[in-house]
Amino acid sequence: MRPSILAAGLATALTVPAAAVQASSTAEIAELRSMLEQMRTQYERRIQDLEDRLVQAERRSARAPAPATPAATDPAISQPMRAPSAGASAPAATASRLPDFRGALSSGAAFNPQISVILNGNYYNDGIDGSGAALVGQALQPSGGSAHDHDHDHAQDADHGHSHGGLNNGFNFSEAELSFSATVDPYFDAAAYLAVMDEGDVHLEEAWLQTRALPYGLRVKAGKFLSDFGYANKQHPHAWDFVDQNLAYLNLLGDHGLQDTGVQLTWLPELPVYTLLGVEALQGDQERFGATLSDEDQERLGLDATEDGPRLWTLFAKVAPDLGLDHALQVGVSYARNTQHQEVHTHTHDGEDEIHENALAGEADLWGVDLVYKYDSSGPQGQGDFKFQTEYLRSIKDLDIQSSPHPEIIGSRRTFTTDGFYAQALYGFAPRWTAGVRYDVLGLTNEVSGDAHLDYGSSNRWSLNLTWKLSEFSQLRAQYARNDILVAENERERFDAFYLQFLMSLGSHGAHAF
Amino acid sequence: MPFRFLTVLVGLFLMGSAPAAPLDVVATSPSLGALVRAVAGERLEPTILAGPERDLHQLQAKPSMMRALRDADLVVAIGAELEIGWLPAAIAGAANPAIQPGRDGYFEAAAQVELLDVGGPANRALGDVHPVGNPHVDLDPVRMARIAAALAERLARLDPAGAEIYRNGAAVFAQAVEQRVADWRARLAGAPGVLLYHRDAIYLLDRFGVPLLGTIESTPGVPPSGQDLLDLTTKLKGRAGVVIQAPYQSPQAPAKLARDLGWRLERLPLAPPLEADGTGYLEHIERWVEAIAAARP
Repeated sequence: MRPSILAAGLATALTVPAAAVQASSTAEIAELRSMLEQMRTQYERRIQDLEDRLVQAERRSARAPAPATPAATDPAISQPMRAPSAGASAPAATASRLPDFRGALSSGAAFNPQISVILNGNYYNDGIDGSGAALVGQALQPSGGSAHDHDHDHAQDADHGHSHGGLNNGFNFSEAELSFSATVDPYFDAAAYLAVMDEGDVHLEEAWLQTRALPYGLRVKAGKFLSDFGYANKQHPHAWDFVDQNLAYLNLLGDHGLQDTGVQLTWLPELPVYTLLGVEALQGDQERFGATLSDEDQERLGLDATEDGPRLWTLFAKVAPDLGLDHALQVGVSYARNTQHQEVHTHTHDGEDEIHENALAGEADLWGVDLVYKYDSSGPQGQGDFKFQTEYLRSIKDLDIQSSPHPEIIGSRRTFTTDGFYAQALYGFAPRWTAGVRYDVLGLTNEVSGDAHLDYGSSNRWSLNLTWKLSEFSQLRAQYARNDILVAENERERFDAFYLQFLMSLGSHGAHAF
Repeated sequence: MPFRFLTVLVGLFLMGSAPAAPLDVVATSPSLGALVRAVAGERLEPTILAGPERDLHQLQAKPSMMRALRDADLVVAIGAELEIGWLPAAIAGAANPAIQPGRDGYFEAAAQVELLDVGGPANRALGDVHPVGNPHVDLDPVRMARIAAALAERLARLDPAGAEIYRNGAAVFAQAVEQRVADWRARLAGAPGVLLYHRDAIYLLDRFGVPLLGTIESTPGVPPSGQDLLDLTTKLKGRAGVVIQAPYQSPQAPAKLARDLGWRLERLPLAPPLEADGTGYLEHIERWVEAIAAARP
């Protein structure tokens, strides 16, 4: 008993000097004794009282950050949202009537954003010394006859220096994706997604705010984000059903798809059928479709400087009829326009070493049509589930030749048309196991106005995969692809590629959009 | 032709925007749909987002859900993170500020009652755990009666004209529950116990003091291993009981255990049929009680 020791100590401390001065009368000593005794009991009582109060307080705080006081009288009055935390839902068993709670019970730590880290790594092997992974994103297309030269020599933006597709034969760590999301206040939600690559460089994939309180089915998103153009565009690599991106997206939009800084407005009108309409104004810093050249190149080649943004606009509509509880279908149409597009085409002439550069500038349009169908079976852990997804993209670049070693063609106009397509299907053939097949192709149409029809054909690929979802938080995937990639007008690279991938999801349990 | 198309579109628009009921209520599960009907009677007809055969934890957000939530005045969810994989995405996609968590239009059943399994370790090595508490409150009729009372108050606030109907509906439902509970308690007294696949019926077992003999999955969200099944068989051999699983759970392991133990195997949905009302909900509980009570040695 701490209090009694304290009291005894106190008593000794007082009595010793008292004894030392040799108190003359025993009556005085008795009086002192009784006073001390009184003090002791008082202190003990006080200390006991304090201890009791401490224990009570501890119990109260352990039980719950109780919201009871303000709400107890009138639950209709707006009450502060209880900071959600583990254990917050353990209301005092004694409370006969609980306050009406309007938030969501959550195990997320109080006021911290939801945090998750997704690790994405793989073993990769192709039959051509690992060059296949880059090659699939550099297939020949009429406008980008030297797409890879263009990319390497004129890296427009240090931001795009990393590549999701850059794999070597052997082990690769693709990225660790960090995501933070939270409701900022009653008006905004916000999220940030960072990709940390294996070299340690960090790339800001997305960082945006989105309104949550606008009326009439309107929402505004602003910041850096993945456009809602098409269907696959706004999925992060961990949400892909295949290890790699399809050929159409890879070649027409690049590794990151349509990822840009700007503003988006969407409208979900009150119709009997789900219909989402949207428009985006984006800066135009897009690696392929929205590309402009660097300042030095613009000066050297006599091209205009990069104009003020926004330079890239998109429109999209998505319609989804209600097919009951088990089926879902969504059809979308998207259009994007880039008001300033620049690219360089290089060529050489027989018997000459000099590389000729033609600089082209103009506008670019991109059309997209997408369809997704999902069947949700009642089978255990995804057994019997089916998903079919297909998209068609068509890029039309309307460019003028601004400079060239051949003066006679300067000022002439070229329209380059390329398209791409993919279709993929996934089926849950056993609990936790999914099999997938994908066919993707680039260049069903290859046209340059003025020139004869380009009949060099298309690049295409077949992929098969097997995904094992061990739990909601981890999955392993094996994928095989048979590639037939056009690298030059009469040169094809045919190769097999094999992937083993892991995806680990650490942290909060996020929700995926449709 | 375009004119005719426009007329159809306008017609559809008017149809869509002319609500027949005073409130547009969306329920995530049929048990909550039944509760809405029990409280509101004919006054409200809920839209239900998932059938009784579905695992509410595994569902995916769909455009049709967003469509339903777009003009909802109230969404009634089970909560406690059961619908975490899809409801937040569906609510966000619905662009409807009225049903955001924290607003009157968002109602979580689990937040209205005390929960079991609260405060476990937040460690995913233990599987898909939810430290906030076990969310499957809808199988306990007594808790459901309390949820009905809270729901009635919420509906009354959103639709004051129907306040009396809602409060009365909740009271009638509570009375019906009370009447049945005594009978159920008597029938379940001394029941030998239940082997579940997942801890999804513990609220019912806890209410009537029925022992939970074990769960077939030793870790939530992870299928049982052969060793798990062997351990369970060894532990439970010679005892009486019943194996109960939900329709979406893998049938092999429960069937094997039932065979090895010589017990009955019951496949019972966690929620009543889509069209159930208060009575339908109680019938659904009756099926569970019957299955558990039938397991006498």
